[in-house]
Amino acid sequence: MKRTNVLKGAGIGLALLLAANTQGRTAELGAKDEPIKLAMLEWTGAHVSTHIAGQLLEKIGYKVEYVTAGNFPQFSGLADGSLSASVEIWLNNVGDIYPKVLAEKKIEDIGKLDLETREGWIYPKFMEKVCPGLPDWSALTKPECVQALSTPETAPNGRFLDYPADWGSRAATILADNSMPYTAVPAGSEGALVAELESAEAAKSPLVMMFWGPHYALAENDVGWIKMPPCKVQSNEHCITPPDVDKIVWSGFGAKWPAALAFLKAFKMDATEQQKMMLAVDKDGKDLDAVVKEWVDKNEAVWKPWVDATKG
Amino acid sequence: MTAPAASFRSSPRVAIEPALLPWCALIALTALCLVLKTDFPWLVTFPKEWTLPLAAGVNAVTDAVVTVVQPAFRALSAALEAPMRGARLVLVWLPWPAVMLAVAALALKSSGIRLAVFALLALTYILLAGYWPQSMSTLSLVLLAVPISTVLGFALGVLGHTRPGLRPVLLGALDLMQTVPAFAYLIPLLLLFGFGPVVGLIASAIYATPPMVRNTLLGLDRVPSDISEAGLMSGCTRRQQFWHVEVPTALPQILVGFNQTTMAALSMVIVAAIIGGFEDIGWEVLSSMRKAEFGQSILSGLVIALLAILIDRLTIGFAKARPAGPTAAMTWMTDRRLAIVLALAAALAIAIRLLWPNETLLPATGLRMQVGGINQWLLGLVRDCAWFFDGLRDGVLYCLLLPLRIGISGAAVPAIWGFTLSPTANATYAVAVLLACALLLHRFNWRPALALLVAGTLLYTGFLGFPWPVFILGIALLAFQVAGLRLALFAVAGFLLILVNGLWGALVQSLYLCTLAVLLCLVIGGALGVWAAYSERVSRILKPVCDALQTMPQFVFLIPALMFFKVGEFTALIAIMLYAIVPPIRYVEHGLRHVRADVVEAVEQMGATPVQTLFQAKLPLALPVVMLGLNQTIMAALSMLAIAALVGTRDLGQAVYVALGKADAGMGLIAGLSIAFLAILADRLIQAAVAGRATT
Repeated sequence: MKRTNVLKGAGIGLALLLAANTQGRTAELGAKDEPIKLAMLEWTGAHVSTHIAGQLLEKIGYKVEYVTAGNFPQFSGLADGSLSASVEIWLNNVGDIYPKVLAEKKIEDIGKLDLETREGWIYPKFMEKVCPGLPDWSALTKPECVQALSTPETAPNGRFLDYPADWGSRAATILADNSMPYTAVPAGSEGALVAELESAEAAKSPLVMMFWGPHYALAENDVGWIKMPPCKVQSNEHCITPPDVDKIVWSGFGAKWPAALAFLKAFKMDATEQQKMMLAVDKDGKDLDAVVKEWVDKNEAVWKPWVDATKG
Repeated sequence: MTAPAASFRSSPRVAIEPALLPWCALIALTALCLVLKTDFPWLVTFPKEWTLPLAAGVNAVTDAVVTVVQPAFRALSAALEAPMRGARLVLVWLPWPAVMLAVAALALKSSGIRLAVFALLALTYILLAGYWPQSMSTLSLVLLAVPISTVLGFALGVLGHTRPGLRPVLLGALDLMQTVPAFAYLIPLLLLFGFGPVVGLIASAIYATPPMVRNTLLGLDRVPSDISEAGLMSGCTRRQQFWHVEVPTALPQILVGFNQTTMAALSMVIVAAIIGGFEDIGWEVLSSMRKAEFGQSILSGLVIALLAILIDRLTIGFAKARPAGPTAAMTWMTDRRLAIVLALAAALAIAIRLLWPNETLLPATGLRMQVGGINQWLLGLVRDCAWFFDGLRDGVLYCLLLPLRIGISGAAVPAIWGFTLSPTANATYAVAVLLACALLLHRFNWRPALALLVAGTLLYTGFLGFPWPVFILGIALLAFQVAGLRLALFAVAGFLLILVNGLWGALVQSLYLCTLAVLLCLVIGGALGVWAAYSERVSRILKPVCDALQTMPQFVFLIPALMFFKVGEFTALIAIMLYAIVPPIRYVEHGLRHVRADVVEAVEQMGATPVQTLFQAKLPLALPVVMLGLNQTIMAALSMLAIAALVGTRDLGQAVYVALGKADAGMGLIAGLSIAFLAILADRLIQAAVAGRATT
């Protein structure tokens, strides 16, 4: 009796030890033959982040598939697992569908991408001559500045180019908070914002608009960021704070690909590096895959810890 | 056509017709509303408190329905996904030389050597531009959507033909499928079918089915009775009668439907790309629009245009016999030779893939990487001609857009026009309008006079300042007098639905943008059409331009319009007009060219000047065709609302977009239905007016 007990105890101990050991050494790869489907969103920055994550996942031993997805439709895909993960979600632009599927626990937020972002009001640099006193916001309230920015549609107010209506608008609230004589005009699309910025730069026509970074348009055009007035109320409607960028996975992701989840949780993206790669792709016409591969080859020191995260 | 006007001219005194009486009452009501509108602002702006939360209700219902039916739809989605993936894999696997060989052979068989050369050039362009794999993905979507739409459309057409009782429902459904912008039902489709390319496929199939149904119906209805009787007399069973007598007789029309269905499916690829799920050419167009890269968007848009023209000519060639008989090349390409060439192409494909298994055979970087210059050129134009574009925009804004939106009363303030109207000026305006009305009443009849009075009032109050009760009653009265009680009730119901959903503001914005766009298109497009009818050279230049405007994804034109004119209503107007100007050009030219030559000769013999011939003989004779063109113009303008929203409008199209962003299925559907309602109402009104003219 005693003997068998000891044996049994030893057996259990050994089993525990083994279990602890495997857990300590590496998380399971899981279903490594089923491809992990990464969402490829519409902008180049997201392409870069996604491909870095994808190439590193392949190094760990996974199959990866890149699936193009619209920024809002992707949440339907993430909710039912037809998309596995999306690594660059700007939380300032997720619509009403994101909180809904998050509350239903169909998707999981696995933390920040640590992308250094910026959001606010920008103007092309030459505006400093038109509205002396920029970048301080009070320069915008001077009559000559309002006059320069006024258009037939907004007269007598100045024209402020706002985010598209479906992104939600804080600019109008902040303009009203500070009783600035401006009318916020919704842009309709990201392309419209970029086109306005480029044509304002080309024709030297006055412009003040809402924008964010990192964005390739900022690398090409010389812009200034307005020093914002103090917030009337410390809330999302009355204040502009740098948006968070998070990584989202389908709720079944961790059970299916445990090691991949550990990696994605550790995965980060640096804004300057991303912007460099964006320019290489968008302006120099280089192949995305090649640009990302070059970065991965050169920066093992950066990504080694993320891959090591899969090993205890 | 001129008979009624002439009879009125002969009788100097106009007795009050019974049809005029309700209008007089309405005029009194308008005056009352305008006087009272400062005291009762709800007469102009529908108060928010009166709106009903219908969208929330629709959402609750859809949520409930979706949870019940979702498994079935998801299963269907999975069933469709496999062939779609398969078709795409095969098309991407096929090496381009094999595809070119096969397409060229088909083109040769379809319409001869010229189409074959065109096909080769178009495919070479796609290859060099660097969009080959994406184009193949797009083709796989079209290849799957077209059979679905064709079979479904044929079945529905037969159903409508054999059961005339079902026809009104069927036709109503077809109208909705064609006029509700696809953006509006993307959310429900996403909920039902799940994320992926299947949603795009279903959206394409929905939009592409109606032409097939309509043409099947038309074809079967037009089977001459003696042919069916001959079938009956030779002892056909019902089934034989249908398949061996009626369908073959109706086949040419059915094939026209097939051609239109294919084109419609292709035009939906951009909408399919909004969802994402697979990398196709629509996705490329959207991405370049997002980056405001005009060069890339032109390149990728051209791919869609070329594919559309190629598929159109191919299917038309098979569908319709050439009037001049087949060309030598077509007769040479017998069925047997075609089969041999296709087999050769397949063998070539296998050989290439076996010999060079790892070669993509595609150019490393396409043209698209070298088109940054186009954007630079465009920006240079923006820089050098800013004064021109700004002047044009401001001119149209001050003279047309603002007066229409906020009216003369609203625009005549120091901030906009730089002066205010004195009471005398207001009175002068009123007297001038009334005098002009009296003149028209005297010269013609009360209808033009009334139209002028309405226009004068609208111009004074602006669309935004016009009282909604008068507006709804006026349209209903018009519908009643032109088309009868049913259309009047339809109009009232539709407008009330829009009203209680709080979309009146958006509706008015849409109305005034579309009205102006349609008017300008009629004037400019009509003039171009007249010119093209008189000059062979102009006609030859305009034809490819019209083709391009219709087949290029409209997103492509948004970028230069934005750069030249900035975000705003003028840019939206330009975007709408670029698409809606094609029907007036085409229909006016077609109408004028097909006017009966003997009538024109007679008029010329009587010594009419060319201008008189045009305005008093040719245009009135071509009126039915021109009215058809007007109908098409309105449809085109309304269909562009959803796309013009991308340059920042406040209309119904924007409401659809905001709903898409919020995943608010109810709001999206209601806004989409509102656009469809406007389209259907306008269509019925014009049809009834044309029919009314034809009977008098």
